[in-house]
Amino acid sequence: MSQTWFQHTFNRKRFRTRNQATAMAILGVAVLLLLGGLYLSQVASFAITNRGIEDLISRRDQLKRQNEQLVGEIASFRTVPRLYARAVEIGFRPAANSDIDYLLIEGYNPQRGYAQLERSVSIPLEEAAPVYAQTFSAWLEQQFTLLRDQFDSFGE
Amino acid sequence: MQGPSPQKSIIQARLPFVAVFLVLMAAYLVINLANFQFFPRSVRQELEKIGSSVTNTTLRVPAERGLIFDRDGEPLAFNIVQYRLGVSPALVANDEALMKDLAAILDINEFDLFRKISSENVWEFIAGPISAEQGQAIAALDEISLGLEEIPKRFYPQGTLAAHVIGIVLDEGLVGSLGVEGAYNDTLSGRVLDLSISNVPFYLPEDRPSEQRGKDIVLTLDRDVQFWVESELRAAVEEFKAYRGTVIVMDPRDGDVLALANYPTMDPNRFLEIEDPSLLENPAVQDAYEPGSIMQVLTVASALETGTISPYWTYNDTGQLEVGGQKIYNRHFQAHGTADAATVLIRSLNAGAATIGLEMGTAQFYSMMRAFGFGQPTGVGLFAEVPGELKIPGDTNWSESYLGHNSFGQDLQVTSMQLITAFSALANDGIMRQPRIVRQVIGEAGVEEARPTTVRRVVSAETAAIVRDMMIRVVREGASGGFIRGYTIAGKPGTAWISTAVGQEYGEHSSIVTFVGAVPAYNPQAVILVKLDRPNEYYGYAVTPQVFKRIADRLVILLEIPDDDVRNRLEAAKTDISTDGR
Repeated sequence: MSQTWFQHTFNRKRFRTRNQATAMAILGVAVLLLLGGLYLSQVASFAITNRGIEDLISRRDQLKRQNEQLVGEIASFRTVPRLYARAVEIGFRPAANSDIDYLLIEGYNPQRGYAQLERSVSIPLEEAAPVYAQTFSAWLEQQFTLLRDQFDSFGE
Repeated sequence: MQGPSPQKSIIQARLPFVAVFLVLMAAYLVINLANFQFFPRSVRQELEKIGSSVTNTTLRVPAERGLIFDRDGEPLAFNIVQYRLGVSPALVANDEALMKDLAAILDINEFDLFRKISSENVWEFIAGPISAEQGQAIAALDEISLGLEEIPKRFYPQGTLAAHVIGIVLDEGLVGSLGVEGAYNDTLSGRVLDLSISNVPFYLPEDRPSEQRGKDIVLTLDRDVQFWVESELRAAVEEFKAYRGTVIVMDPRDGDVLALANYPTMDPNRFLEIEDPSLLENPAVQDAYEPGSIMQVLTVASALETGTISPYWTYNDTGQLEVGGQKIYNRHFQAHGTADAATVLIRSLNAGAATIGLEMGTAQFYSMMRAFGFGQPTGVGLFAEVPGELKIPGDTNWSESYLGHNSFGQDLQVTSMQLITAFSALANDGIMRQPRIVRQVIGEAGVEEARPTTVRRVVSAETAAIVRDMMIRVVREGASGGFIRGYTIAGKPGTAWISTAVGQEYGEHSSIVTFVGAVPAYNPQAVILVKLDRPNEYYGYAVTPQVFKRIADRLVILLEIPDDDVRNRLEAAKTDISTDGR
């Protein structure tokens, strides 16, 4: 009786070496490794940049807080009672009405104005973000430089 | 030939069934796999959320509260950061060294500190809130076991100055209360932002909304005027041993509140230490009171406007009048015989005001009182402003005697802000401007200008001028303490008794005295309201004109208002210039 497909399957004990397939598999693995390496390098570079940004944000916030602290101190030094006391100390006195001479100035608006404050407006994201104009060859060159720098740093 | 063994036969017989079963199972799995790709959105989002919770963290970006400035750009309120300090004792490498470092920075007991640092607990709170300098010094230690948490704090560099106008912020800098902080909380507070940050790979999103920060506010307050007003008010409250006092300065031409002071006041930087909770109220807009005889001015103005009386109107003053079964008396029960409307104001004749009120009738009188803004909030832009109380015919408990009493400012409740707004309308030729405390709102998009707006014309320019002339006579003949050398002043003092359940209070400290004056009387540039609660003098004319004078004396210099003589000469010179130039 001829062998059934089941027996045929179980009876095959030897595998033939296929050089071409093996080479392809090795090449595939090598390509995957290369891509994986590049991906990891890219992710590492990305993470390092973002950590740098985080540090800069943290530093910016710290400077901002120090600045606010200084603004607070300046404002405290400029309170009216303090200025008044200091003015008296150095010999000034409040002006009486009789001390004041009024002049007629043509074009002068006697209506009291008020300060036109302007907040330091943050730059819109479109303006702040760098324009992406990198070519593929430039990117490859950048990756190569990064890789070389990493090797250089290992050697140090 | 020997056939297959029985075991093989069984296997061969069952194999197709197994194969079919496996094929069905595989098909089932493939179908499920396909189905998995097309989950309902909610389920997919939930799964994505679970997935991202592993790789993402949420960063809370606090909303920076907008700042508050006076009209000249001096900061009145801004933000600082304080810190709360804690320690993870298990991570401390050197207890003693850390203890010494922290004790030197925080100036706290070393023993307590050591107990916390060497505790068995996972986390120990050490101190807070601590100052920014201390926080930065601790951060510089670069100690991994220490945790510094930022606490936003509102700081008021001017201390008590304009405390009730600016207000306070509760809940670690998040919720404004009282004053502008409370009224404009939504504008100032901004939006707290939760940013989702990827940890794998680490990525900080850049798409933060630009309108996250709160908007800045510029007030109409003049810091210098506010300071002088507060100084004089404090002196007046102490001199006349009053329970408390309020002063408001308003520019009648545009409704700008230049100064608003209450005494006693509080320090918004230390409001948690306040023992008397009434200090956290702004009496200028939250305390409605019976204004007393100062209202006679508005009764006369209303009567002139409605044509009930003319400037030549007179009546026979017997010193008393019965209205709705209740008797109304003049001050000291004096009778003045034939008296005109100006005399009613100069002598502060309650019977005269009630007579005018009765002649007007309820419809006209209450219609004019509503037009002057009583019984409704002014909308000045301060927290928790009350409408006061103006009972009209048809309201519960209103009786005929109310008309008589209301004519000279009793049996109705008004706020100081309502009073000064009404008098500012008279000073501004009968046009009532919307009182306002906020002049600009500054956001990322730019500056929003709050333009002066007109509420309504309450009386005609002619009526306003006639009443102003009467008020000038009041200052010259009835309240000479309010006279300022070189300036014509229009004003009126008023005294209100304090009602009780069985009548009114008597004796010392049993009245509320008010003075409202406009400077200069012709073309007024400032209206000043002075109010003292329970001073040691009963009558307003003996107290408030002096306080008004002291404030106005300085105000004309700060606001650069020349005296009458100079203004007349300047006007004449202007006329010459324009004539020559023609």
